[in-house]
Amino acid sequence: MSEQNRSPDILLNVEGISLSFGGVKALNNISFDVRKGEIRAIIGPNGAGKSSMLNCINGFYHPQEGQITFKGETRKQMQPHKAAEQGIARTFQNIALFKGMSTLDNIMTGRNLKMKTNFLWQALHLGPARREEMQHREAAERVIDFLEIEQIRKTPVGRLPYGLQKRVELGRALAAEPDLLLLDEPMAGMNHEEKEDMCRYILDVNDQLGTTIVLIEHDMSVVMDISDRVVVLDYGKLLADGTPDVVRANQDVINAYLGVTHE
Amino acid sequence: MFYREAGQFKNTYHADQAIFPIIQDRWFMALVLLVAFVVIPLWANEYWFQAVLIPLYIYAIAAIGLNILTGYAGQVSLGTGAFMAIGAYATYKLCTAFPDLNILIVFVISGFFAAGVGIVFGIPSLRIKGFYLAVATLAAQFFILWLFNKVGWFYNNNPSGTITAPPRELFGIMITGPEAHALTRYYVSLGFLSVMALAAKNLVRGRVGRSWMAIRDMDIAAEIIGIEPLKTKLMAFAISSFYCGVAGALFIFCWLGSAETEAFDIFLSFQIMFMIIIGGLGSIMGSIMGAAFITLLPIFLTNVPPMIGIPIATDLSKHIEEIIFGVLIVFFLIAEPHGLARLWQIAKEKLRQWPFPY
Repeated sequence: MSEQNRSPDILLNVEGISLSFGGVKALNNISFDVRKGEIRAIIGPNGAGKSSMLNCINGFYHPQEGQITFKGETRKQMQPHKAAEQGIARTFQNIALFKGMSTLDNIMTGRNLKMKTNFLWQALHLGPARREEMQHREAAERVIDFLEIEQIRKTPVGRLPYGLQKRVELGRALAAEPDLLLLDEPMAGMNHEEKEDMCRYILDVNDQLGTTIVLIEHDMSVVMDISDRVVVLDYGKLLADGTPDVVRANQDVINAYLGVTHE
Repeated sequence: MFYREAGQFKNTYHADQAIFPIIQDRWFMALVLLVAFVVIPLWANEYWFQAVLIPLYIYAIAAIGLNILTGYAGQVSLGTGAFMAIGAYATYKLCTAFPDLNILIVFVISGFFAAGVGIVFGIPSLRIKGFYLAVATLAAQFFILWLFNKVGWFYNNNPSGTITAPPRELFGIMITGPEAHALTRYYVSLGFLSVMALAAKNLVRGRVGRSWMAIRDMDIAAEIIGIEPLKTKLMAFAISSFYCGVAGALFIFCWLGSAETEAFDIFLSFQIMFMIIIGGLGSIMGSIMGAAFITLLPIFLTNVPPMIGIPIATDLSKHIEEIIFGVLIVFFLIAEPHGLARLWQIAKEKLRQWPFPY
C-alpha cells in the first residue's frame, strides 16, 4: 500500500510534543507528520503514550511543550469541540457510544456540527428544521449503508454486540465527514473475521472518501498491511518513523517488542 | 383490530421519523385528544376539574420540564419547586404591573424569567455532576423561596404575604381570578400542555435532544464529536426552567387561585421528581403518565375502598398513599428505571405478537 503517487501535502504536523502528568513523562519531544490521504499507524508497547498522543491531537490533553499544526493552522491549546469543528473525528479504545440512543441517533449525533437551525424551529419541527433533519438523515443513511448496519438502525446501541458497537462508533465518526480520522485500537478484542471487515472499512474510507487516518493498533500484521507509514513509540519516546518495511527492520523496534538481553 | 405494523411501509425518511410512525398509535392519540378536548368537558363536574384534571395537566408540564433536564440531559435537579415559584411570582408581578397585558402572554413571559434564573443556577453543572449538582440546585430551592418570603416587593407588600390571582379576561372570558369557570381553566391548562408537550417531543427527537442525550450518556465522546458541554447543559437548564416556570404560573393562576411560598417547597420538587421516576426518565409520554399516576392514586385510594365496602379513615388512606409511593419508587428504581413509559412500550411489543407466541 505504500504508493508514491499520493499527494505529499502535510495535513497534520506534530512538533516537539512533551506531555507529563506530575512526574510521569507520557510523551517526550515527539515530532512526526501526517500527509493528506495516508493511513498512518502509531504503534508501541503498552504505556508507550499512543493514546496520549491522540488525546493531544484532538485537544483533550494540553501538552506542556511543542505545537500541533493542522491544515496549516498552528495551535497550542484547544478544546475538543474546536478540534471537531476543524475536522478531526475519533473513536475510542473503550467504546464511548451513547448507550441509551439508537444506532441511527448515534450516527445522527455525528452530524450535529453540520446542523444549523436553532431550537425554536426545531421545537416546531417545520420548515428549515424539518428539511435539515431529512437531509442529514439521508447522509446518516449513507454511512449506515457503507458500514452495512441497516438492520440495527433502530436498536439501542447498548444491546449490540461488541463488534457492531465498534462499527457504530466508526459510523458516528464518519458521519462528521472529518478530514482526519483518529482510530484508537479499532480492532481490539475482535475475532479474525471482524478484523478483516474492519480493515476493509478503513481501507474503503481512505480510498473512497479520501479521509486521512491515524490509527493505533496492536495487531502487527494488520498495521504492516494497511498503513502507509508507521510511528513507533516506547516509554514516551519516538523509536522509529517510516514505511512498514523500514520500521520492521529497525533494531530499536525489535528490541522494544521482543526484549533485549541485558548483560 | 390487532396492533400490527405489518403492511405499513414507509417510503420517506419523514414518515419514518414521525412521532407515531404506526397508524394504530396515531388513532390512539387522536382518541386521547378527542377525550381530553371534547368528551371530558361534556362529562366532568367541578370536582373532577378542580381536584384531578387541572392539577394533572399542570404537574405534567412541570414533569416534562424536569424530564428534559434530568431524563434527557442527565442533570439532576431538586429545584423544580423554586423554578415554578419564579413563574408564579413573575406572573403575579407582571399581572399587577401591566393589568392590560394578555394573560396568556404573561404566562409565557414568566417562563422566560424562570429560564433566565435556571441558566444562572445551571452554571455549576459544568463542574459538578450527579449528587453534588442536586445539592447545588437544592440551594436554588431554598434561596429563591427565602427571597420571595423576605422581600415584600415580590408580593406587593400585602399583609397576608400571599399572591392571589387577579381577575383577568380574554375575549370576554374570565381566565383567572375567583370568577373564572373551571372549564375555562381546564382548557387553558390543557392547551398549554398540548402545545408544550409537542414542542418538547420535537426538541428531543432533533439535534438539540440528541446533544442532550449525548451529554447524558458519555460527555467526553459528546465533546469530541463537537458538542459544547456548557452551551448544551445551560440550554437544558433554560428550557427545563421555562417549562417549570409556565407550570408554576398555571399552578397559582389556573388552579390554586392564591398561595404562599410554602406551595412551592421542597416537597413539590420531590413530587415532580417522583412523577418522572415512576413515569419514565427520558420520555415525554412518561412525564404525563407519571403526573397522571401521582394525581390519580390518592383519589383512587380515597374512593375505591369505600366503594368495595372497606371504609378507610382519611388519615389512614393518606399514610397508605405514602407507603405505596415509597414502595413504587423503590420498585421502579430497581425493576424498571424507564418507568411506566417502558412498561407501555413492552405492552405494545407484546401486543404486536399477540395472540401468536412468535
